[in-house]
Amino acid sequence: MNYSMVRSLILKDWYFQRIAILLSLGGGVVSLAVVAFGGQAGFTIGLILLVTIMVMLSAMTVMGNTIGERENQTLAFSMSLPISYVEYTTSKVVGSLLIFVPFWLAVVGGCVGLIVAAPQIHGFFAYAVIMAIEILVSTCLMIAVALVTESKSWTIVAMVTGNLALNVVGYLVAHIPGIRKQMWGTAIYWNATATILVVIEFSLIALMLGGAFFIQSRKKDFI
Amino acid sequence: MNELAVKFDGVGKRYRHFSLENIHLELPTGCIMGFIGANGAGKSTTIRILMGLVHQDEGSVRVLGHSMPAEQAKAKLDIGFVSEDMRLYGAATLAWHMEFMRPIYPRWDQKYAEELARRFDLKPQQKIKGLSHGQRVKAALLLALARRPRLLVLDEPTTGLDPVARVEVLGELMAALADEERTILFSSHNTLDVEQISDQITFIDRGRIIDSDDKEAFLDRWRRLRLVLPPDVAVPRLPGVVEVGGSGRLPVLTTDRFEPAMVSVCNELGAAVQAVDTMTLEEIFVANVQSRRERLTA
Repeated sequence: MNYSMVRSLILKDWYFQRIAILLSLGGGVVSLAVVAFGGQAGFTIGLILLVTIMVMLSAMTVMGNTIGERENQTLAFSMSLPISYVEYTTSKVVGSLLIFVPFWLAVVGGCVGLIVAAPQIHGFFAYAVIMAIEILVSTCLMIAVALVTESKSWTIVAMVTGNLALNVVGYLVAHIPGIRKQMWGTAIYWNATATILVVIEFSLIALMLGGAFFIQSRKKDFI
Repeated sequence: MNELAVKFDGVGKRYRHFSLENIHLELPTGCIMGFIGANGAGKSTTIRILMGLVHQDEGSVRVLGHSMPAEQAKAKLDIGFVSEDMRLYGAATLAWHMEFMRPIYPRWDQKYAEELARRFDLKPQQKIKGLSHGQRVKAALLLALARRPRLLVLDEPTTGLDPVARVEVLGELMAALADEERTILFSSHNTLDVEQISDQITFIDRGRIIDSDDKEAFLDRWRRLRLVLPPDVAVPRLPGVVEVGGSGRLPVLTTDRFEPAMVSVCNELGAAVQAVDTMTLEEIFVANVQSRRERLTA
């Protein structure tokens, strides 16, 4: 693996996504402030804003970095550089995650901090962590589909599926007895059910990204 | 015998509506090969296989000593590639592209890049999306040349250029040829462009290489013989005749194996040779393609 080449490609993608990253960071800070200081209504509105910004950032990153390469016919330029398919795929996966994950971590950290600081919603801790990871799952689904299909339409389908799944998973998790019982309490809890759900989520992430690498390595036509 | 920069051995690639079959291609180091074919003949597919961007279904490809596509990353370090459908990043400037590529290529020549920018009348601080098509091609060519590649692969780079830009691009290519170690594969359906800069010519049609030779050999061995036949004399049977045109008494024979002795043979057989016309590369290409297609449908 030519790490310096992968690094160059990641820095290139960051450069082209710098406005989206900065806008998302600014939006994230504002949303967290709304959550912290906006009262009960602000809490709900701020959370919705945060989720929306995260979804937008992941969509813009994937559309710009991966689909944009084909749509703007810059893929031939990228692939004319001294890289292999695996290095290209690595740069796209790692580059997209390195754009999304720091923002995601900051937002998740902020939310967890707010929950910890407000005893009346301590019960939401496990639910919030599970749902935050679910957003990461949706993003990874979009990255994998974009890489494998290189199709804007299929990536939009993946984005819609991920967002619908977010709602469905949110509803289902809230009704799992192991989570529901503690959710409205005032104590921070973590139990085996929460652990199992998180393991399932990370397994899905590994499966999707591993699958994307596997399919990319077997592709015969890259342009 | 020079070392081979490119070697295709029995390469095939099948798609649903098109297939590239049994491609044998040898490009010695230091040669400039014009790769000519009609639209959809298989030029771009062949070049993509050469670059490792498309995997062949069968056969082997070696580029600069590297097996493709397995060792494409190593091979591409020494290849400059420009294709008609390749775009640079519209939101970035040419200067950004130069800075991006400088650390990637050990032989990157910044002075030469700046000199080329001046010669091409390109402003490095201008964004790519603000450039005309001709300027974009020149920018791509600049980025390919400034890395000082051992192999330059150009897939229809002059397509869509205005006459002035075409002359400038071809002129710069000819200047780049001063380096005898540099090998160039130049694909085009414009035979005039190819004729100007190539010393080897390969024709491709419907996914098959139909002829490959030195340019001078092509121009020497292809001729049109204009004959005048007396009433009782048949058209002489000459070697390498690919086409018999003209009218019954005034046939025009196109041959790909012309030798001066053919004129005396015709005279001995009673046919007067009115003229022996040389052929342009375009005429040779068209005659070659048409005769092959006729043979296939016969």
